[in-house]
Amino acid sequence: MSASPPTLRVVLAKVGLDGHDRGIKVVARALRDAGMEVIYAGLWLTPEAVVRTVADEDADWVGLSLLSGAHMTLVPRVLHLLRQAGLEEVGVLVGGIIPEKDIPKLLDMGVARVFGPGTPLEAIVSFLQQRSSAGHA
Amino acid sequence: MLDVLLKRFRAGDRLALARLLSLVSRGRQVDDILRALGPSRRPSRVVAVTGSGGVGKSTLIGKLIEVIRGGGQTVAVLACDPQSPLSGGALLGDRFRMPARPDDGVYIRSLAAAAGRGAVADHLGLMVQLLEAFGFDVVLIETAGAGQGDTSVRELADVVVLLLQPQTGDDLQWEKAGLLEVADLVVIHKADLPGAENVEAQVRATLELSAARAVPVLRASAKDGRGIDELWAAVRACPPRRPPAAERGLGLLRSAQECLAFAFDRARAADDPRLKELLTSYEKGILTPRQAADQLLRLLATTAP
Repeated sequence: MSASPPTLRVVLAKVGLDGHDRGIKVVARALRDAGMEVIYAGLWLTPEAVVRTVADEDADWVGLSLLSGAHMTLVPRVLHLLRQAGLEEVGVLVGGIIPEKDIPKLLDMGVARVFGPGTPLEAIVSFLQQRSSAGHA
Repeated sequence: MLDVLLKRFRAGDRLALARLLSLVSRGRQVDDILRALGPSRRPSRVVAVTGSGGVGKSTLIGKLIEVIRGGGQTVAVLACDPQSPLSGGALLGDRFRMPARPDDGVYIRSLAAAAGRGAVADHLGLMVQLLEAFGFDVVLIETAGAGQGDTSVRELADVVVLLLQPQTGDDLQWEKAGLLEVADLVVIHKADLPGAENVEAQVRATLELSAARAVPVLRASAKDGRGIDELWAAVRACPPRRPPAAERGLGLLRSAQECLAFAFDRARAADDPRLKELLTSYEKGILTPRQAADQLLRLLATTAP
């Protein structure tokens, strides 16, 4: 209908007991500058709160930042709750400190991509743009 | 497609509400949705919270949500933050300062407000209607950080609450036309900081000069919780405002402006050759701004929706 694709809406959140928010704020800024609407949901969120935010904000993507080591507990919980809420089409990104060996497990569970330290910001932006124009979200 | 969505919406499906709000915020199927909704059967109390950036609107709304829920009412929040004029992107960081615990009686939606639209997102009126129809008792509108002339939220709300803070401006600020004139309630926020009494006295002195209506001035602090219950009581006590004759039609004008802006964005995105030609003539000075504006109006009026 319209010539331009709808603006992507991305929820960025930190789950669990982890207050390291420098990285997620840098990502937020990069996505904003790439023309996306970034909903910054904040720190210390429960998986339930993240999923409620994704639902109410009608987000296309959710980016979870974890530097606490609790990703193998919290990420599956978010994925489960998203499915339960009927939000399986929402793409999930994970960033932060994730050991190499856990990455394939997270991808198997349904995470679209894991971005570790040192990832160029353009890589995150172009991943979201490509996946979204390819019909995801 | 829309029919299914509306059916789910009427059955109380929050995801359908979220999707409808997205359609409306993007200016899509607005007329169809408006027609399907019909007149609101259960009008909510619509309260706008406005003030400059950093004055504490989101944090105070977070506290108000608790008070409203404590009173057994449900509440929806439309929280506006600025959209980048450069990239079109936005960082929407209001809900970060509001309660995060999921509660079926609370709905928070973050919205990007384009520059020059009075610090509120487009089509906000219809979004309020959707939330009313969904059954929320109270709808809170948070403007983006508002400047002195950002008064258009007045057309959307029953009560406009203006937040000021200590240590801002001298008493001449309060004489200026604009935001202070449209406030139904003034809150000196961050009242835990020094200087709050001073600002309160200045604002009171100014407001007392206009005998037309009594505007309550309160002190509150989201930090230590003082004045929050009193604020909500004052909001509830505000008499419904009837638009004076001078404002008649302003709502319609605003809708027309939104339609125009949307048609312009669409024509530009579609690389409409007539628009390109017009813009070139305008930029080269072949047309005066007034002539170009007239032509633009005519061009957009003939663009198919």
